Amino acid sequence: MSLISYISISLILFICGLVVILARKNIIGMLLGVELILNASALNFVTFTKYFNSNIDGHIFSLFIILVAAAEAAVGLAIVIRFFQVRESIHIDSATQLQS
Amino acid sequence: MFLKFLFYISAFLTVFGAISVVVTRNLIHSCVYLLFSLIGVAGLYLTLNAEFIAATQLVVYVGGIVVLLLFAIMLTGGSNLKVLVNKFGLESTPLMGNLKTYIFAALSGLVLAAVLIKILFSSLLKSSTVSNNFFTTVEDVGVKLLTDHILAFELSSVLLLGALVGAAIIARPQRSTEVEE
Repeated sequence: MSLISYISISLILFICGLVVILARKNIIGMLLGVELILNASALNFVTFTKYFNSNIDGHIFSLFIILVAAAEAAVGLAIVIRFFQVRESIHIDSATQLQS
Repeated sequence: MFLKFLFYISAFLTVFGAISVVVTRNLIHSCVYLLFSLIGVAGLYLTLNAEFIAATQLVVYVGGIVVLLLFAIMLTGGSNLKVLVNKFGLESTPLMGNLKTYIFAALSGLVLAAVLIKILFSSLLKSSTVSNNFFTTVEDVGVKLLTDHILAFELSSVLLLGALVGAAIIARPQRSTEVEE
């Protein structure tokens, strides 16, 4: 339970999210990777608040990261559902036009 | 001792959930593994004395975003439902649970129980010892959020309202204007 263990867990989360974004061909699968990366950053904020900083501003930053993630998930999934209505597919390679 | 136990379970859930999100082929399975990973991150927040962030993580992520992702997966066709036959000759459908999902569910249930036990014990200890110092960070976060960061707090409500209206407009089914013309 030291600083380095939390940073290692955050690193693993970030790497897994990056691999998911890079490896998946499914748009919703890529959004899962975005959520993992946002979690890694919020975990880093809380960890450095505990070990380096005495005030509580890192917790506020984590709260706003969670809030922005919620807004991003809502809008992103709405775009995915609309894209599925237009193109009948959620494969990333079929997203080639901005306007149908 | 308790925090160390909670830390090891949470770290295991987080790391294996994240790796399983990578290696699982079924989309719904990887979404459920993301759920385990997020519960593990909530446990890690609890070991870092951030109770309010842990509760927010459980409510917003686990209760909101993962359910939204599952709805989107199912609305867009999801994973194709084939009956798989494993190496022992037993049939299993991909959307039903197996032994691995039950083990992870038991672990996340342990973490949730630990969260509740920790909150219960801290509230009991706080009620017994009356002092002005912040025993948990919940009051500190609340005071800070409504004094120093009040502008960002109010702007976040506008952001959420805009995101909600935008999502409703984008995902609306297409009105057939060609028929009227």
